[in-house]
Amino acid sequence: MVATTTRILFETFGATEVRVFYAFGWAAIAAFAWGVYVQIRKYRRGAALTLEGSLWARSRAMISMVLSHRSIDRRDAAAGAAHRLIFYGFTLLFIGTATITLQYDFLEPLFGIRFWQGEFYLIFSLVLDVAGIALIAGLIHMMIRRGWMRLPKLDYARPDRSPGDPDFDRPQYRREDWAFLWTLVIIGSTGYLLEGARLVWLQGRPDVWDTRWWSPVGAMLAAGFQEVGLNAGGAAMLRHGLWWFHGLLALAFIALIPYTKVKHIFTASGSWLARDALAAQRLPRIADSAAQPGVAKITDFNWKQLLNLDACTKCGRCHEACPARAVGAPLSPRDVILSLREFAHATLESGVLPDAAELDVHGKGPGQVSMETLWSCRTCMACVEICPVAVEHIPIIVQMRRKLVEDGAMDPLLTKTLQTIHKTGNSFGESKRKRGAWSKALPFTLKDARKEPVDVLWFVGDYASFDPRNQKVSQTFATLMQEAGVDFGILYDGESNAGNDVRRVGEEGLYEVLATSNISALAAAQFKTVVTTDPHSFNTIKNEYPDFGGKFEIQHYTTLTRELFRNGKLRVTRPLKYRVTFHDPCHLGRFNKGYEAPRELLTLLGCELVEMGRCRANSFCCGAGGGRIWVPDPVGVEKPAQNRMKEAAAIPGLEVYVVSCPKDLTMFEDALKTTGLEGKFVVRELIELIREAIPA
Amino acid sequence: MKILVAVKQVAALDEDFKIRADGRDIDADYLIRDLNEWDDFSLEEAMRIKEAANTPGDIEVVAVSVGPASVDESLRKCLAKGADRALRVWDDAIEYSDPIAIARVLAAVTMREAPDMLFAGVQSSDHSFASTGIATAAFLNWPHAAVVNMLNYTPGAKTAVLRRELEGGLLQELELQCPAVLTIQLGINTPRYASLRSIKQAAAKPIEMLSLADLHLVANDVGESGSSSRVRRMYLPEKGRAQLIEGDVATKARRLAEIIKEFRGQT
Repeated sequence: MVATTTRILFETFGATEVRVFYAFGWAAIAAFAWGVYVQIRKYRRGAALTLEGSLWARSRAMISMVLSHRSIDRRDAAAGAAHRLIFYGFTLLFIGTATITLQYDFLEPLFGIRFWQGEFYLIFSLVLDVAGIALIAGLIHMMIRRGWMRLPKLDYARPDRSPGDPDFDRPQYRREDWAFLWTLVIIGSTGYLLEGARLVWLQGRPDVWDTRWWSPVGAMLAAGFQEVGLNAGGAAMLRHGLWWFHGLLALAFIALIPYTKVKHIFTASGSWLARDALAAQRLPRIADSAAQPGVAKITDFNWKQLLNLDACTKCGRCHEACPARAVGAPLSPRDVILSLREFAHATLESGVLPDAAELDVHGKGPGQVSMETLWSCRTCMACVEICPVAVEHIPIIVQMRRKLVEDGAMDPLLTKTLQTIHKTGNSFGESKRKRGAWSKALPFTLKDARKEPVDVLWFVGDYASFDPRNQKVSQTFATLMQEAGVDFGILYDGESNAGNDVRRVGEEGLYEVLATSNISALAAAQFKTVVTTDPHSFNTIKNEYPDFGGKFEIQHYTTLTRELFRNGKLRVTRPLKYRVTFHDPCHLGRFNKGYEAPRELLTLLGCELVEMGRCRANSFCCGAGGGRIWVPDPVGVEKPAQNRMKEAAAIPGLEVYVVSCPKDLTMFEDALKTTGLEGKFVVRELIELIREAIPA
Repeated sequence: MKILVAVKQVAALDEDFKIRADGRDIDADYLIRDLNEWDDFSLEEAMRIKEAANTPGDIEVVAVSVGPASVDESLRKCLAKGADRALRVWDDAIEYSDPIAIARVLAAVTMREAPDMLFAGVQSSDHSFASTGIATAAFLNWPHAAVVNMLNYTPGAKTAVLRRELEGGLLQELELQCPAVLTIQLGINTPRYASLRSIKQAAAKPIEMLSLADLHLVANDVGESGSSSRVRRMYLPEKGRAQLIEGDVATKARRLAEIIKEFRGQT
């Protein structure tokens, strides 16, 4: 008996009725296929891009990410858990339904193979019942997040638009979210009702009735139906009606996948598949053949970027992490992506591509991105780092900035700075000759790495060379290296601004000039390794110079110093008992994962390290990145660095706020004063603490 | 229609500069060269007039400079910003020319090019004579206006309306017959940024070379013989008696008191 137990499919259905159902099925598949075609045509209208690396490795990484849900768990474990329930519930139900089709429409009619019965069917039945519960539970949690918890990151109000603007808070997104959740909940729950009704209807058939507890939810519902007096005849009618309702809704859902947010099933996976692990660290070059630099039209984005736009699930994690957004600047990475997505939807999905003039993504119209928004970005990578679907915001923003730079659409102060850097090789407008002048105050002569070989070539960077406060830190570092017996030297005026921030501003031509100049200076010197006290220089030399032929082994001073302590070249003689917190510089931490060395050093020095809430990968940018150090923030509103000082001040008994980046030192010392927190704690370079722990 | 913009590559002092052996100028090794700041504005003004016209293609903006090959870099910047052509005049005889001699050369270029307007900067940031533009007008016998900070001009029009800055915060509005020579003041507009990419691309554009013969001039018209003035020497004044007192407030106060006592002969 059990061996023949199987699902009742079209029993009692007339031939016409079955044909009608198949017609709907084919229509749904056609609608789905057309939608997929339109989306792919949209992506193909973007610029060409060849992905690096093997497709196999990419696929494995993508599948691992999708199955593990690692990226969705981050900073929101509840959302990750709920999504996992939905994902696995939905996937199992989909596989289950697909299995039915596989036997009923292919294997049985073609080869006479029947496997979907007996024990297999019963286990299948149990698994799907559990999957359905998981799906509905996950969906209900998502409803609670939207409806009751009202998480701020799920609020679609935009910082770059005003109330009243047509695309200010986009209520259509909220409607879509709810429609999506309800549709799936209804599909899931009508599935159970249908199951319960079927059991009551076929209660006289032992092969159905006696095995009913293999579908426990259906069996419980059947008991309920019987309790309220439903008989077999009534249940048959109810089942028939529910069958059609459930079936058509499920088909409609499938048909709508490419047209709605449901498509993230494919676009998010595709986004992971095409992911560039160094998207923010290593910006794309401009091809020599490019008619214009950067992105002016939506079609100037490459296909992967257009796919990224569609992968966004509006989860709001980048919105939450963005330092510009946090201080009320007119930028939310989420809204840049969504704006461009709406723009691509409006322009690239029709049969004929609109005129070039209608493809301009710059401006204040619906779907366009304004220059104020683009210039608010600090390229701190907080958005790229947290995105659960591998959207790469930074190259999108920088490529749009390249167009603004070409048009001169930027703050006059930034224009001035770029001209200064071009003229003098540094952002301070100081003479090239003065680059190494800070070393004159040292009691020894710093080797000139252009003239004699050294073990360690120290790339000093602009701020550490010219800013008076940071010059003191440079002098301290030089002394420590000297005392540790390191054979080191600098390039003096052979060094120029490393170009990291110039590139992130979008002045690619100037970046190329700076990078090639530094590369030839480095290539002409004899050394074993490069060390830098500047995380910005560290990033571009490590990740971007290789694209210009400059492959150098480089480390940040924190790892070199840690090595010196390990080798006993440096020894703590006066342990510090400070209660400290450490600020991860964007370019050392998030960009290059240098989280451990500075922390180990602090422990070595005897400090008690108390972490801020936003630390390591979630470190909060000081506001100086992406060239923003050259453009003052608006007065009267909070600056990111001030926001950060308040966070640090909440640590009870904090004595020292430790940084390991020259720009951080400048930004935070300033912010400490302007927030009125001076006296509560001090801002110090890690180098200064090392000096304190090793009195000369 | 054509607007001719006379530009100059100026020199800025590097740290620790040295005076040249003959004492009449700075040693060229210590100079950082760039396009004169005022010329950024005059070129921008010409570009705006061109771009605002109904048919910008009919208006030619031509940059001209007098100087050796190193000046090409500044002319390239003009081309990068959108100038249609660039001219450079040079002959070794031109070295040591004063503004009057340079004006003679520019006037000859103007005759040759026959523009509807000639723009120059009010002055150069290095030598600050503020006379090249106006002297050119004198050679041409054209109407002129100096220190223009607002201009209303349509190419081809018989007159232009402009505003000049006078001393004491006064402004003067002027209607001037064209063609004319205008010297443009800083702040009249916001000069555009010439991206490195556009400068690189401008490197491919030709810079037309003009010799004295092309301009129907002879060596005596330029250089020291063609000049009305001659630099005798360039020098740094001896340090004055001012001194900066450094240190904290108490130290400063103590030192100040000492100085006062010294002056009163109390020590």
